[in-house]
Amino acid sequence: MAIIAQILAGLGLLFVGLKIMSTHLQQATGRRVRNLLRTATRSPFAGLLCGTLAGAATQSSNAVAVISGNLVRGGVLTTRDAIPIVAGGNVGTAALVFVAAIDFRLLVLYLVAMVGFGFQFKLDRRPAFKEWMGVALGLALVLLGLDYIKQGPRALDVSALAAVLDHGISPWVGFLLGLIAAAVSQSSSTPTILVVALMQSQVLGLDDSIIIVMGANLGSGISAVLTAGELEGTGRQLCYVHVLVKAVGCLLVGAVLLAAGWLGAEPVALLSQMGGGKASASLSLLFLALQVAGAVPVSLARGVTEAIAARLSPPTMEDSASKPRFIHERALGDFATALDLAEQEIMRLVKLLPTLLPDLDQQDQSGPAERLALWRGANAIGVAIDQFLSDLIARGVPRGSLQTALHLQALVETVRTLQDTLHAFTEVVEGFADLPPLGFNLSESLRTIILSLADATDGDAEDLDLIITLAGDRSDLLSRIRRQLAASALGTGEDARQLLLATSLFERGVWLVRRSAVALRAPANEANPVVNAASGEARKREEADAHRT
Amino acid sequence: MHIEREQLGSEVVLKVAGRLDTPNAKPFEASLMEVVTTTDGGLLVNLAGVDYVSSSGLRALLVAGKAMRTAKRKLTLSSLQPQIREVFDISGFSTLFEIT
Repeated sequence: MAIIAQILAGLGLLFVGLKIMSTHLQQATGRRVRNLLRTATRSPFAGLLCGTLAGAATQSSNAVAVISGNLVRGGVLTTRDAIPIVAGGNVGTAALVFVAAIDFRLLVLYLVAMVGFGFQFKLDRRPAFKEWMGVALGLALVLLGLDYIKQGPRALDVSALAAVLDHGISPWVGFLLGLIAAAVSQSSSTPTILVVALMQSQVLGLDDSIIIVMGANLGSGISAVLTAGELEGTGRQLCYVHVLVKAVGCLLVGAVLLAAGWLGAEPVALLSQMGGGKASASLSLLFLALQVAGAVPVSLARGVTEAIAARLSPPTMEDSASKPRFIHERALGDFATALDLAEQEIMRLVKLLPTLLPDLDQQDQSGPAERLALWRGANAIGVAIDQFLSDLIARGVPRGSLQTALHLQALVETVRTLQDTLHAFTEVVEGFADLPPLGFNLSESLRTIILSLADATDGDAEDLDLIITLAGDRSDLLSRIRRQLAASALGTGEDARQLLLATSLFERGVWLVRRSAVALRAPANEANPVVNAASGEARKREEADAHRT
Repeated sequence: MHIEREQLGSEVVLKVAGRLDTPNAKPFEASLMEVVTTTDGGLLVNLAGVDYVSSSGLRALLVAGKAMRTAKRKLTLSSLQPQIREVFDISGFSTLFEIT
């Protein structure tokens, strides 16, 4: 009983440790991993290498797939660029399996001591150490868990158990066990580490372990698609790439093992020889071989991979709505051009704002699902612009350009908040089975103001002046409407509560429109003389407006 | 939608009746812009007969209002029904136009 408890405790520590380690590694290395992945577009091998490094740094092929998916949506990478990265992410996770194959008992004890002292001396509160202390804690728990799992079965009559397992596990059962274990843990490395630990305790032999690890490899690919849930388009395409890497790896390695058998060689003995007689080292090599055998062909034939993935999950409206049209990585080298492109991208976001609101006057209007996709897409572009400007600032822009970059960053922040406010307002309006007249008036009024703001991006300073007047303070009016609403027959009902919420969101939206219009009137790109020439008058107005407000 | 045009001295009066919705917004805007481009006096839009206004109708008024403002001429709205007045107040149009 104590043995089962010790193994279960080890598994618990392993799961928690992996989770903590992966989360903190992503926090600590996320930005660097993101920058690394952006450079991976040169060739499939560059992508594979970057993906491998990212997989090793995050110890999660899913994390690499998610980051790649976001970069594809943000227009930084194409799906074709992301294929070798996702494939390489799997190879990188093999690092932990090799670590598990080492006898690390002494290392674990020192690591636990180090982490404990670190927390005692509050190193985890220092920004420079915070995430790395988390990584160390996660690693300590992983290794401690593995040690428990290894130590537990030693008290058993291993030879008897091994004999039972030897007779009891057929190749198909072993494959299925691995597949289920990977599907449950959503990882191929976790069951493999577990098998390594059981092999070190001599509970499992290398022949059974090979089959279990191959099952786990395929299982983790399948679990990636199963856990993708409602995910569609590009995001789901990368999950299918994940499955292809795993399936191709299993097929190729399986074929090699079978062919070796047919040719009279003993595949298990060969593998054991390659591991220098150490079963755990042999299994780690097999795990690495499975990842490489899947990753390389999938990356080299990325045109075919892309076609299969696109066939299984065609791009969605959200995918196309998420792609920036102006900003791109290479523009970061020229500050004036980069700022100009960022400004144009923001103008495009402002022009897209009306699509986030319902047109209550039109019968054939776009539906809530389409608007939700457009909102998510616009949101992704907002994030991409913010990231683009942050990267530009991090490169050390000249003082004049810095001021412009910060101005644009503030503007995009306002526009993003406006996007979210319009989305929330739309959800409230569309939540009514029968929209009351006040709801209609609020919605059509807000739509008029937003359409005027979108039009003003192509107009002159007078158009923006008009928007600033139109979006003036109306708190007295809205307070009066709220009082009337409270005293009306609707009174305390759900409809009244939703209408009150709609008035608040409307007021917030109008205030953000005014803020956006004031910011749009200010000079945007001082580093670019063409844009700047038209901005002098606007600057004076901005200053005057700042005094008025 | 029905629009009647009257000349009162130098001022043109447009009496509008019906719905200022998407299908009617273009003809309404065309009527307003015709007055803006073919006359040089003030414009009074009587909305007493209007019982529905959407964002498209409001935008038509905004286009005409901007053209009149550029030409330094006066555009006045009159006789709004209470529910239409509420739309104008909420949308901020009451601050852009003189309403009698």
